[in-house]
Amino acid sequence: MRRPAQTLLLTLTGIGLLHSALFTDTYLRYVKAGLRPLLIASGIVLLLLGLAAAAVRGERRDTVHDNRGSADGHTTTDPHEHEQGHEHRHSHAHRHGHDHSGAPRVAWLLFLPAASLLFYAPPALGAYTAARSSTKPVAVQRTGFAALPATSPLPLTLTDFTKRVQQDRTRAVKSRLVELTGFVTPAEDDDGWYLTRIIFTCCAADSQTVKIRVYGTEAPPANTWLAVTGTWHPRGALGTRTAQAALDVRRARPIAQPVNAYTDDLPLTPS
Amino acid sequence: MEKTDEMVGVVECAAVAPVGSPSVRRIRPWPLGAALALAAGAAAVLLLGGTHWLNQPAVQAWRTVCLAITVQALPFLLLGTALSGAINAFVPADLFTRILPKRAALAVPVAGVAGAVLPGCECASVPVANSLIGRGVTPAAAFAFLLSAPAINPVVLTATAVAFPGNPAMVAARLVASLATAAAMGWLWLWLGKEKWLRPFLRHRDSGHRHGHSRWNEFRQGFQHDFLHAGGFLVLGAMAAATFNVAVPRSVLDTFSGSPWLSVLFLAGLAVLLAVCSEADAFVAASLTGFSPTARLAFMVVGPMVDLKLIALQAGTFGRAFAWRFSTATTVVAVAASVLIGGALL
Repeated sequence: MRRPAQTLLLTLTGIGLLHSALFTDTYLRYVKAGLRPLLIASGIVLLLLGLAAAAVRGERRDTVHDNRGSADGHTTTDPHEHEQGHEHRHSHAHRHGHDHSGAPRVAWLLFLPAASLLFYAPPALGAYTAARSSTKPVAVQRTGFAALPATSPLPLTLTDFTKRVQQDRTRAVKSRLVELTGFVTPAEDDDGWYLTRIIFTCCAADSQTVKIRVYGTEAPPANTWLAVTGTWHPRGALGTRTAQAALDVRRARPIAQPVNAYTDDLPLTPS
Repeated sequence: MEKTDEMVGVVECAAVAPVGSPSVRRIRPWPLGAALALAAGAAAVLLLGGTHWLNQPAVQAWRTVCLAITVQALPFLLLGTALSGAINAFVPADLFTRILPKRAALAVPVAGVAGAVLPGCECASVPVANSLIGRGVTPAAAFAFLLSAPAINPVVLTATAVAFPGNPAMVAARLVASLATAAAMGWLWLWLGKEKWLRPFLRHRDSGHRHGHSRWNEFRQGFQHDFLHAGGFLVLGAMAAATFNVAVPRSVLDTFSGSPWLSVLFLAGLAVLLAVCSEADAFVAASLTGFSPTARLAFMVVGPMVDLKLIALQAGTFGRAFAWRFSTATTVVAVAASVLIGGALL
């Protein structure tokens, strides 16, 4: 890989990272929010590295001309001076020590994520992934449940709703109107669909899915973000493992995809 | 000091040259180059046919996961390559040989424990280990460091404790099994390892600061070269891991959870294929509730040491001949260590 291409690659990757983490929220589709400072710092470092490479290259061009005079350049006294000045593809053929002037061809692959971040960012994981993964097991609540607030409809996360349905012996959620948010994942059988959130702890490669079965309306198109109000769909004994985490829907209202799409929190709307 | 370094370099240069390795090595890049050209050609043809296929749900999920692995690893890769560049340019050549015990067999466990100071995931440790070898650290100790650093640093251990609340034995087992594997692999290298498996320039150990060159410039060039090199392999590994991630639905996993022995092997294999970052793998392990604690321990011990993106990174840094031998041996040792220590502690 030639020097101008390296400079371009470093700069492009840096701008791509800054674009996704500093100027927009696209990084939240791929990694957890906590990585933001690291991504911004990396973007700045890469940008500086690219600019430094460009600056040094401009400087060196003047000094190299002196060496060109000596035959084909192979007789230069210091092999490293020669390597750094001369442009060459066979950097690995020089077995002499650390040679940093050429980068291997495999570095071209880095253009893919850089261009992808800048020009063609893929969307957050959705119904395709959710339909093919099993439901994340819900942790057992050891401390007992607090009383539910009196607001109606009551906003709950999918995990909290599942816990209330399957673990709360006081059955506080019975006949309460709750509001859940998530996107639509069609069920394998035609009876009903799933309200889904995909959660990850570090990046989209370790994603896990929480699902609530929804009854009562036709399935909207997959990946539609909805705020759904409804009551528990009675199946199984409420407050025990046999209860199904399911909802009888009263109203389904389309919403914009929340900023924090990859957590199971109450939705933050885009600013 | 500088003079003798130069001399050694020249002598080795002369000794190697008659073998005719330049011609061999000039041929080697071609398969990769041809593959890249083919891939670029295929992509161009597909793009000419329209960008519709890029928006298929499966392709979109693949792109998202691939980009996620890359973006997530980039800061740590930068940290690792910056550290390795700094070690090359600023650290005096004999510092590590002075700190580490003279006997290689003793240096291995010390280097393994020293892995605790590099807070990050596995991508950072490959370039650092590379530059340690370049600075004269015995490869066995550098490899022990390479294996232990991503598994036993405080960030990862804290994450493990959070993922397994009320189960400190799991954290202890992870720490002990990872250290044991790292040390065992270091000693195994002393016993059976051959330097010829390593990339040629690694054998010469004449990297580092050169008299009369600006240290900052050397740092910048080493940093840039290592980053581009490792970054390319990172993308390659991310592509492989994303392919597996999207192609195999998670629900398939539960079918393997029944047998205790198979489940250990299965989760170890899964750790290799999934390439989850070592800071996150504890959460994935915690979610695999159908499996025995020992199997989940194997997942967390193998994951930071061997996975698709690491194999790609190691092949790029140390050479292919090294990468496949080392990864295979590490997987075997790590599974054995997890079974033994998991059986004792969990």
